[in-house]
Amino acid sequence: MVREIIMPKLGETMEEGYIVSWKKAERDSVEKGEVLFEVMSDKTNFEVESLHSGYLIKKLYEPSDKPIPVTTIIGYLADTPDEKVPAVESKTGERKSEGERKVKVTAETAPAEKESEMAMISGEPSERLKASPLAKKMAREAGIDISVVKGSGPGERIEKKDVLEYLSTRKEKEQGAGEYRIQEWTPLRRIIAKRLTESKREIPHYYLQGKFLVDRVVHLKENLKEKQDTELTYTDFLIFAAAGAIREYPLINARLINGEIRIYSAINIGLAVSVEQGLLVPVLKNCEAMDIRSISIERKKIIEKARASMLSENEMKDAGFIISNLGMYGVENFQPIISPPGVAIMGVGKIGKEMIVVDDTPQIHYVMNVSFSFDHRVIDGSYAGLFYKRFKETFENPATG
Amino acid sequence: MREITYRQALNEALMEEMEKDQDVFLLGEDIAIYGGAYGVTADLWKKYGDRRVLDTPISENAIVGVGLGAALTGMRPVAEIMYIDFIGLCLEQLNNQVAKIRYMFGGKCTVPLTIRTEGGAGRTLGAHHSQSLESWLIHIPGIKVVMPSTPYDAKGLLKSSIREDNPVVFIEHKMLYNTKGKVPEEEYIIPIGVADIKREGSDVTLVTYSRMLLVCMEAAARLEKEGISTEIVDLRTLLPLDTETVVRSVKKTSRMVIVEEDCKTGGTGAEISAQIMENAFDWLDAPIVRVAGEDVPMPKSPVLEKLAIPDAERVYRAVSKLAKET
Repeated sequence: MVREIIMPKLGETMEEGYIVSWKKAERDSVEKGEVLFEVMSDKTNFEVESLHSGYLIKKLYEPSDKPIPVTTIIGYLADTPDEKVPAVESKTGERKSEGERKVKVTAETAPAEKESEMAMISGEPSERLKASPLAKKMAREAGIDISVVKGSGPGERIEKKDVLEYLSTRKEKEQGAGEYRIQEWTPLRRIIAKRLTESKREIPHYYLQGKFLVDRVVHLKENLKEKQDTELTYTDFLIFAAAGAIREYPLINARLINGEIRIYSAINIGLAVSVEQGLLVPVLKNCEAMDIRSISIERKKIIEKARASMLSENEMKDAGFIISNLGMYGVENFQPIISPPGVAIMGVGKIGKEMIVVDDTPQIHYVMNVSFSFDHRVIDGSYAGLFYKRFKETFENPATG
Repeated sequence: MREITYRQALNEALMEEMEKDQDVFLLGEDIAIYGGAYGVTADLWKKYGDRRVLDTPISENAIVGVGLGAALTGMRPVAEIMYIDFIGLCLEQLNNQVAKIRYMFGGKCTVPLTIRTEGGAGRTLGAHHSQSLESWLIHIPGIKVVMPSTPYDAKGLLKSSIREDNPVVFIEHKMLYNTKGKVPEEEYIIPIGVADIKREGSDVTLVTYSRMLLVCMEAAARLEKEGISTEIVDLRTLLPLDTETVVRSVKKTSRMVIVEEDCKTGGTGAEISAQIMENAFDWLDAPIVRVAGEDVPMPKSPVLEKLAIPDAERVYRAVSKLAKET
């Protein structure tokens, strides 16, 4: 008997994955439960185990940075090493898979959740790119990814003339711009590009900017440091203040999923972390239940994991509010892009002394430049303003917060 | 070059082959004294007499059976079935005997039998005398099916059919008999199984045969004025099908419209379409389009008959939609 091995769908938003490595060679025997291959998706790596014993008779895809749509057949497992690989014309499809794979996720995932993820694998077909056979052939021969070509045929089908047009504009550009080298897309880069383009295209962003007076935080931080107590960072204070303000303004913690505005009771705060290959957003879960010291401990753990590429899928999902900090580079202010399905994100600029007028008197204060981006579909300006006000109060008065 | 009608061209072909080969003889209903329902055998009886031009009773199965027997014993009969609508009466002979006997006897005999018939609508003759049944026949391995569209092709192909050692069903079209075209006086033949590019073009390939060629030519002239260049492939023989020529044209234009008078379901167009999917998939830039007859018994009303089969307007619309919107 020959069984299909497919690219598993490992999460609600996963549309494609990348084969990182095969753990078996063709014709190798495979025991049930042994790891067959490793997949990268939505920024995490998974090891995929075989549900059956047998032989890996065929690999249809080698590890590469080319994305493979979920449910695509990527290989075949057979009872004996000499069984024939079935002839397949189309490798993608809306096939009903019988749960041919089992996924070992490094982090703990609740069994129920796992089950629903499995159901997703066999369920929805991914949206199909429409291109004429000729257009596909031309793109293949020109070595371009056909998904970058815009289709002008019925139902936006990509046709010959679209590929020709793409190639000619590309040529014009190439002729004009002089020498260059091509930076290869990494899987993570591709995911970032796709998600953020979607966000900026679909979400009506608006921005609030302000200055937090942070003298108290600065002093408190220094005192604690002198006392050799836990070393807290500004980020810890920000997370703590954000959790407090979100408790009062729960819409900030909403996520827009399948057209529903879902307001979660758990306050999960994401932190944008820059790593070698790009940007990751590890998530600090249940901040509503933590004091600032616990927050600090968890924050350190998760950021270290991110830098070491050790984050599990679970540690990167379900973010609500996200904090992105560029202050350490001396950036005064920036407007971050919302990461869907979240509806709000904060951009933190540098902390420095500034002259502030208080009661008609110029005073020197420590000031942190902050900005917020909100999804106007969910949050109106006045609500965001109230949230901002509460956030500022909490942050500026850490002793009472 | 002189111009003669399709009918005259066929008549010449018969006469030339009868002149050349004493084994060639004709049989059919009303073909001798009357000269054939559409006049194709006119004057041949006068010239060659009773022994070579035979009027038969109204019994299509016998006509084909006698033809087969004569062919097996060394003659080159040309049988006429007045309307293709009557072909069902001969299917036992045609399908089970004529088509298979050479194969079943291990090639020890040949069947140089030509069955001439005519089909198609256009004369408001109703459901019993207006059908296009070629798609039945292309499903019979062992015979050849020829459907010429011009006087030149009709003459050259009928001569080849008579000389062919395997059975040929030669289907004329009742609306073509009076059409005129250039036919040289000197002898020529056209090989069976070779399609002809009747018009060269670059944007869309029109694949057609028999009377629908004229419809396609008319549509093509109109399309050209709008800047759409069509290439027209006239199949001429449906079995064996010249897939190679069609594939070559589709590789050039990447778009194909098949135009057939036969009703659409299970028609010749379906077969051509499948051949292109198998052989030229990667060259297609748009789905294949069929313009075909409606799946109805042919209406007697002239208005409805016109609606039931493709005309130049329908072909024009289909091609221009395919060329423009995409």
